[in-house]
Amino acid sequence: MSLFKRKDSLPIPPLDAEKYTTVCQYCSAGCGYNVFVWPEKRSGTAKSNAFQVDLSQQNQLLSGFSYTETMHNVITRKNGNKYNLAIIPAKESRINKGDYSIRGGTNAQTAYTPTGHTKDRLKDPLLRKENGFVAISWDDAVEIIATVTKSSIDKYGADSIAMKFYDHGSSGLGFEDNWGAGKLFLSGIQTHYLSIHNRPAYNSEVWGSRERGMHELNYDVDDARLADTIVLWGANAYESATVFFTEHIMPNLQGGSVEEKKQEFDAGEPAEEGRIIVIDPRKNATITVSQEISAERVLHLRPNLGTDWILANALARIAWENKWYDNDYLQKRTDMVTFEAYKSKSLQLAKSLDSVLAEAEKITGISRKEMEEAASWIAKPKTGGFKRRTLTLYEKGIIWNMKNYDQVAAIAQLNVLTSNVGRPGTGCGRLGGHQEGYVRPGAPTPGSIYAGGPPKNVDNYITGGGGKIYWVGATDPYLSTPNSKFFKKSVKKRATNLLDYLDNGGIPSDTKAYIAKVLEAFEKTDGLFMIVQDLYRTNTSEDAMLILPAAGWGEAVDTSINCHSRLLRIYDKFLDAPGEALPDWKILALVGNKLKALYEADGNKVMAERFSGMDWKNDAEVFEAGSQEFGDNKATESEEAKLSAECYKGVTHEMLRKLGNEGIQTPVRQDPATGKLIGTKRRYKYSFASKDGLFKWYGTDAWTGYPAEVAKYVDNPAYPFWFTTGRSQHVWQTMYNDKRIPAKLLTVPLPYLEIHPDDALKLNLKTGEMAEVFNEEGSCLALVYVNDATKPGLAFGLMYHAKGTMNNLISSYTDPKTTIPWYKGTKVAVKKYTGKLDDAIKTVSLLSNNDFTTG
Amino acid sequence: MSDISRRKFLQTTSASALLLFSGLSNTQAAPAKSYPSKKIGNIRNLKPNEPLAFNYPDEQSPCLLVKVDNETIGGVGPQKNVVSFSTLCTHMGCPLTYSKGRLVCKCHYSMFDVSRNGQTFQGLASQWVAQIVLRLDAATGNIYAEGVEGLIYGRIGNLKLS
Repeated sequence: MSLFKRKDSLPIPPLDAEKYTTVCQYCSAGCGYNVFVWPEKRSGTAKSNAFQVDLSQQNQLLSGFSYTETMHNVITRKNGNKYNLAIIPAKESRINKGDYSIRGGTNAQTAYTPTGHTKDRLKDPLLRKENGFVAISWDDAVEIIATVTKSSIDKYGADSIAMKFYDHGSSGLGFEDNWGAGKLFLSGIQTHYLSIHNRPAYNSEVWGSRERGMHELNYDVDDARLADTIVLWGANAYESATVFFTEHIMPNLQGGSVEEKKQEFDAGEPAEEGRIIVIDPRKNATITVSQEISAERVLHLRPNLGTDWILANALARIAWENKWYDNDYLQKRTDMVTFEAYKSKSLQLAKSLDSVLAEAEKITGISRKEMEEAASWIAKPKTGGFKRRTLTLYEKGIIWNMKNYDQVAAIAQLNVLTSNVGRPGTGCGRLGGHQEGYVRPGAPTPGSIYAGGPPKNVDNYITGGGGKIYWVGATDPYLSTPNSKFFKKSVKKRATNLLDYLDNGGIPSDTKAYIAKVLEAFEKTDGLFMIVQDLYRTNTSEDAMLILPAAGWGEAVDTSINCHSRLLRIYDKFLDAPGEALPDWKILALVGNKLKALYEADGNKVMAERFSGMDWKNDAEVFEAGSQEFGDNKATESEEAKLSAECYKGVTHEMLRKLGNEGIQTPVRQDPATGKLIGTKRRYKYSFASKDGLFKWYGTDAWTGYPAEVAKYVDNPAYPFWFTTGRSQHVWQTMYNDKRIPAKLLTVPLPYLEIHPDDALKLNLKTGEMAEVFNEEGSCLALVYVNDATKPGLAFGLMYHAKGTMNNLISSYTDPKTTIPWYKGTKVAVKKYTGKLDDAIKTVSLLSNNDFTTG
Repeated sequence: MSDISRRKFLQTTSASALLLFSGLSNTQAAPAKSYPSKKIGNIRNLKPNEPLAFNYPDEQSPCLLVKVDNETIGGVGPQKNVVSFSTLCTHMGCPLTYSKGRLVCKCHYSMFDVSRNGQTFQGLASQWVAQIVLRLDAATGNIYAEGVEGLIYGRIGNLKLS
């Protein structure tokens, strides 16, 4: 009766099983894991095993040791032998303490096996021919890419090469692969048409904070247990940074960290159970779980889409009016010259409090009473005059909001105004999505419109006919880019034009002849030569000319930091990559080295030099090479703000292997007195990351309504619903792994839509039915859940799914200051679908995922 | 898992579930070679949404039998609406409480749909909860537990306790 094959016993690792440490490949929490590998035919015993746990007894609840069906797999190594693989949450990690999420708990199931869920991993470079893709050698693939790239640079300039590559840690792998991509594209090719991950441009998502002198990862997991108040702003922690929520935020709400607070706080300072403010248009599970714990210590504000910076400024004005700030701190730690612009534009001191709040109420839809309560929870001093300790974490609800720059800046400034950075229990920054691992040569666009920007919009460039080569690494823009239907249509047309030209008279089998014909096509058509480098075939790769097989998590040594402590750890290699798949850095180095050789053969020393420094022998060398980018890291404790947030200079793979789950927190500094490498727990206690160490204020824009791309819908009755998107607890990103794991695909079989009962009634829609969501940009067919997570007039969709993307509906608007899209807001129509319902609905749970009440 | 979550669980878990769980922790069951057949209830006595607690396949494994309002995957009875599950959360072993068609864990808020094969439709548990294989004796209405699909939390094997 099981919907998929279940197990009722698991193999036991013998004492001498291979043991490795790693970190989960998924979310920003970065839970520590221990990996065990042992020959399939060998077994430990219940009393004697590599887990060092007595397996003869029923394990007690919350013991910190878990070994479930999903944590085991059988792999085949390149030697042809089969091995058991167990990937177990690490009890000794201070990040997760043995806890794990529904995503990380399936790490073992993502391992490549020749006959299992992941058997369709890419194993060879694939070249597109008349009748589909054929496997070719790395030598041929590298020759094609390097020769075509060189000719394109020489003939059309470096900007004829465009790229979209991940820049992060965890699943995309970390510092090593990012340094590889940086060396090839930024040092070598030097194109301006760079884009990151799912986005249209090459940018930080938080220049609004960085340009104030505050990097967004400035806190430690301990701060979530020490805070008097936690603010989650557009950040659904329970469903997207789950273990950070259950191990650090939840205990604080439950009162479990009061003793820790007493030890860290000043003498006589009140230490109580924590409070939480969640600012989100949707009543998501983060809110309802918090309410289950203690409803009276939860505040939920539901602003109108796009209006959050007005709300942040209103809260700041209330704090200002009540003098809930420390003037001495402002004078010593912040720039009082730029503070004038903040006072005038953000706090609007020329206007009365009443008029500012009345206007904010009108724009945001949040009542003055709610604003006053929120401001007091954030900033009002505690009994005895002690400063409140507030940790504010924002994520995609803010970052991918309208006016990215101003949204982020407003929240950063609210926290600095109220001294909520640099002290235990405070901090202000990102909750994070994935982990981080960024080290690259300097980008061509250093910052926002106020700092040399904005960066170029690569999506517009490609869809507008720009570029000849488009290299996509570990991202699937057909699903993940905004306005994705238009993007897909445009790229497909250009890819088809190239293929048609090559096909006319036959695609040459000889590599040199093939290259010559591609170059001819560049001259005669607007054809786009797309290269997709990934673990699997993707939606985008259907229009690629060349697909490159990349090694994944566990198949190469890599390093990343998590978001909630900047904890740098090693993600060791314990698997063989399938077939001919290679780590990303290695693929990029093969092409870089070939380009260097081609330019040397041309006698072009200047160009050859640009591609030098990529002849790394192993992962450890790439890691070391990248570290040089951070410069000198000799610094005292009070000079930490001068260091780059991810600085790891001096740290080696070997050192990290010894540190295991303990890791070291970036920025790592070399202590001038002792010469020792020392990590940084919490940032900005002494100064900020600006030239003079002062926090730089910014006067935010006034409300001017919605951008034209969305404004066209605002008063249009054909599109009655405001629409926002988000993620599901179960699946990671585009589901590239999860769609292959039966339990995941059964639970999230289709894109889905959440709609309020009042609206559902009008549309005659019920949970378990399907609806078409559409507007002038595109459409998506979705499974319907009717629940109270949304408000009347507001619908919510899963951002993207292997079987369809809501990004089809999203406009092409980007913040003119940063080129960051507004993924999270538009308007749509919803129509009941009257065709045959998908069979998957017969097995999916249709229960409400934000109702945790019992009895 | 922090101490407070353990305390919170003690505060929020119903007394009956706790008794069933803690009262058994010292019991030493004999190792079983195959799943026993055990009578666990009678369909005529089951009231909708009022679960019946029992232990299976040994005394250290709390389970429940429940008649729900709709057809289920793996259910018995004329409406296929009688199902049975382990009540140890597969995430970290906390007791599950039945309510509104699902099993809810109050430690980390995983929720499992009893109509849909015990699937984790919300929360942290990466493994669906173990479902008990049932047999209904049509003549008597007796319901027997005769197997387990999926691993019971905290065991290397469902039948491998010493």
